[in-house]
Amino acid sequence: MHISAWFFYAAVVLVAWGVVGIYQKLATNYISAESTLVWLIVGLLIFEPAVYPGKELFRYPTHGLVFGLLSGILGNLGAWGLFAAMKNGGKASIVAPFVALYPVVVVVLSPLVLHESVTPLDLAGVVCALVAVVLLSV
Amino acid sequence: MAVRDTIKAKWFWYCIFTLGCWGPWVLCSKLGSRDIPANGMEFLFAIGGVPVALAMLVGRGFGLEKSVKGITYGLIVGILSAVGQLALFAAFRSGGNTAVVTTATGLYPMVTVVLAVIFLRERLTRIQILGLAFAAAAFVIFSLS
Repeated sequence: MHISAWFFYAAVVLVAWGVVGIYQKLATNYISAESTLVWLIVGLLIFEPAVYPGKELFRYPTHGLVFGLLSGILGNLGAWGLFAAMKNGGKASIVAPFVALYPVVVVVLSPLVLHESVTPLDLAGVVCALVAVVLLSV
Repeated sequence: MAVRDTIKAKWFWYCIFTLGCWGPWVLCSKLGSRDIPANGMEFLFAIGGVPVALAMLVGRGFGLEKSVKGITYGLIVGILSAVGQLALFAAFRSGGNTAVVTTATGLYPMVTVVLAVIFLRERLTRIQILGLAFAAAAFVIFSLS
């Protein structure tokens, strides 16, 4: 059986972020959501030497740099919105599956923004995955 | 009535805000990955997080709890988030379909649920077991494609 490169990387994401969920729970037992986010970003910065691209950094195209920085701002702002929703009366059991629907936004926007299409088989997988996330978070 | 109450609730709009951030977060991650390798994207991603951390600090009046456990767990969250984010950029860089990669990696709550059962001794509900079955089905489908 041939395993695509993206599938291997996706498995790494699953394990890493799956463990993050546990530690996030443990961290917020001791400190506030905002503080957790601050230490999260300190943790990201600790990881920086491992990924520092060296002189290459100055050769990246400008729009690539902008998308990279925007990704960091939007990803972390989104995490703050999630924490704020929980703090402002949202039950974790409703908020977590609600925001886990972000792939829906991507599925809708990717043909328009990225000019990518999804095969019927992949679409079946996408639907199963979305149902799974909602059921798991209940 | 219930719907009207929900729309009036603050948490609902924070969720919409998060969805509004995370959709474009994925698209920016993909668009950036077309030009920049995964390690460079992760480097930029963390720098993008700095203004967000500063905003949190200002919001809290620079007062952070001095809980060693809380801080340690928070740092672990950050480092593991970075590992996951780096792998996500690598997945986008390797040319996987964005919608598929996003939904497949969006299944990470499945791993959290399984780990919570093993390490935090939480019990699975029947609905969660059904959810795991759907997640497994999605995975089989994605591995075939």
